[in-house]
Amino acid sequence: MEHARHVLRVLFALVVILGVFIVGRSFAVPESYGFRGPYRYSNLQEQMDRSKPLHGGTVSCTGCHEDKVDTQEGPGHKSVNCEVCHGPLGKHANADKKIADALVDKSFHVCERCHQEIVGRPKDFPQVNLQDHVADVDEKLEGAVCLECHDAHSPRP
Amino acid sequence: MLEDSTEIESRPSQRREFLTAAAVVVGGSVVMTLNRARAAAEAKGGGDKKAKADTAKEDKGGKEDKGNKEEAKAAASANEPYDPTQHRWAYLIDTTKCIGCGSCVRACKAENDVPHDFFRTWVERYAIGGEQSHVDSPEGGMNGFGQIHVPFAPTKAFFVPKMCNHCTATPCVQVCPVGASYRTPDGVILVDQDRCIGCGYCVQACPYGSRYLNEKTGTADKCTWCYHRITKGLKPACVEACPTGTRQFGDMKVENDPVRLAIEKERVQVMQQHLLTEPNCYYLGLDKEVR
Repeated sequence: MEHARHVLRVLFALVVILGVFIVGRSFAVPESYGFRGPYRYSNLQEQMDRSKPLHGGTVSCTGCHEDKVDTQEGPGHKSVNCEVCHGPLGKHANADKKIADALVDKSFHVCERCHQEIVGRPKDFPQVNLQDHVADVDEKLEGAVCLECHDAHSPRP
Repeated sequence: MLEDSTEIESRPSQRREFLTAAAVVVGGSVVMTLNRARAAAEAKGGGDKKAKADTAKEDKGGKEDKGNKEEAKAAASANEPYDPTQHRWAYLIDTTKCIGCGSCVRACKAENDVPHDFFRTWVERYAIGGEQSHVDSPEGGMNGFGQIHVPFAPTKAFFVPKMCNHCTATPCVQVCPVGASYRTPDGVILVDQDRCIGCGYCVQACPYGSRYLNEKTGTADKCTWCYHRITKGLKPACVEACPTGTRQFGDMKVENDPVRLAIEKERVQVMQQHLLTEPNCYYLGLDKEVR
């Protein structure tokens, strides 16, 4: 068996390399890897905790502004989230305390974004050519002209 | 000669000792490592549950800034740790209702701190007239859309909101060289920011163009269906913001979920069906021209 000595040396070297690999891998591979698939499972929790939710939805506004929410009469803006016009909850309040004024933009631009008549909007959606619409009541399209006739929360005149 | 033979005889025994010692060291460390791995796997089964319970308690503390109703609802769901295997999320977009106001794009930008000029969700407008078509998406539709200027009279025009489709057979997870991109048990495609090397292969692989490389972190980024919200019983920010009910989010594992019912009963489409990516964003009213 002296002729096998060179083979045994190579086999031994391979076993050493394999051993080093197994030991090294146990340090390098994250613990939660492979739990449910070829990824680091603990990342799921990290993604859940990544940031605090910024938007609260209309229900989050009723905590302090129930009266304003109640003024909305359907069908128009009643189904619209307050944050669409007034910005996200997280920029206005934190832990039941106000941290900054909510966005209140009274200019026609806010209304224009949804209600200007443009190509692409569904035909049954309330939209008007704003220039013609204000001209009908002898007004110019500037500033808070929409609010002269429409209540932003119950817009049907 | 006699001295030579004694030296020659001691060499095999020296070698034998060395080999035995080496085999013991290597074998011992391998066994030790395997033992450690087995112990860690056993501990993880119980440890994961504990980690989730701890996070649930933290969640409850952070809920106080919401209204009373939301607080009660969220507290109820925060008491149980979130189990991803109990949910299978799906998204429904009704393009017949979209008015192109861009509230969803603005909400997503704010909620997820999306870098300027990049979008996790965006809205496109299609104007089609006979053989000709025109697509525009000014700033992703973030500030709404303006008038259209095309050299033809469109016979049909509509808006199509787009985002990551969180496909079941997704190419982006397949091509990731480091396994940073993965599919969670509840069907959301996420990117592990610690493992991502920013090679951009997934950005190229996505047929829907929903990924981008975040310049600040140097990693790939995309819509996560607001994972930090849906795991707390909330809806994604875009769904929350949509004023017309175009965007809907639901759980396929809940029997009377409106999204599940819509997918089961209505005629829904998916984008780029021929690529067999099995998207989980379903569309109603999708035109053949939409790419």
